[in-house]
Amino acid sequence: MSPAPNVATSAPVDDDLWSAVGDPTRRRMLDALIAGPGTATSLSEVLPVTRQAVAKHLSVLDRVGLVHSTQVGRERHYQVDEAQLARAVAQLSAVGNAWDARLQHIKRIAESIERAKNNTHDTSHKDASEKHASEKGKNHG
Amino acid sequence: MEFGTLERQVHVEASPEVVFEVVSRPEHIREWWSDDASLDAVAPGAVGELVWRDGVDSQVESFTVVDVDPPRRFSFRWVTSEGETAKEGNSLLVTFDLEPSATGTTLRLTETGFREKGWEVAVLEEAYRDHERGWDLFLPRLVAHAATVAA
Repeated sequence: MSPAPNVATSAPVDDDLWSAVGDPTRRRMLDALIAGPGTATSLSEVLPVTRQAVAKHLSVLDRVGLVHSTQVGRERHYQVDEAQLARAVAQLSAVGNAWDARLQHIKRIAESIERAKNNTHDTSHKDASEKHASEKGKNHG
Repeated sequence: MEFGTLERQVHVEASPEVVFEVVSRPEHIREWWSDDASLDAVAPGAVGELVWRDGVDSQVESFTVVDVDPPRRFSFRWVTSEGETAKEGNSLLVTFDLEPSATGTTLRLTETGFREKGWEVAVLEEAYRDHERGWDLFLPRLVAHAATVAA
């Protein structure tokens, strides 16, 4: 698949990964699985969806590599794939929170300018002048 | 909330005049957004460029200033379809609204056009529809988790 330009960060976005985590139920499932491995049955007990629906969502997560499963007895145990999750987090953070990061930068820059204007004799400088390049609204992953 | 609109608000301990400069001037835009930014003039219709560098590659997005009302409002369109002039329906509209507050400025951001723009539309709309209650709850936990994974 050719990477689509990511409007918010100019980094490539994996559409399948996006779709997989674009669903609130699947995000809740991932949340639950972060706490520890689970089965379709155990997940359906903590989520307001049927075991069948959970199984379907799990197969979507499995397809994009966000979870892995192992057969244990009669049940399939699912656990989060940490590398793929980290990748999804990078993409999600970059796009979903891009403006949060940008606004925090704007805030820091403006406040540092304001302080410089008001306290020209005050040589103390706070973290506002630091360059937080890694937080720029750009995906470095 | 209108479907397809991103809204954010932040309090800044600086005057609206200072905040306006930071959101509208290319020498600041390149600090808070892109690796480089240029803009001919902070005036409606002016066209600028945002540049991101990734190793040897660089990615360029142009943006077109829409509204300049210092120190109250600055807006521009970006991610316009190639070869087209930015207008409603073919680009994302970013608006900064500044309001003086007791200790500084309330800076409100809106970004609209996701629906009209149609960029990977189903995926993106799904993402934004649930943004407020979904991602904001989910991401901090994921990020915290990712940090432990990375460590």
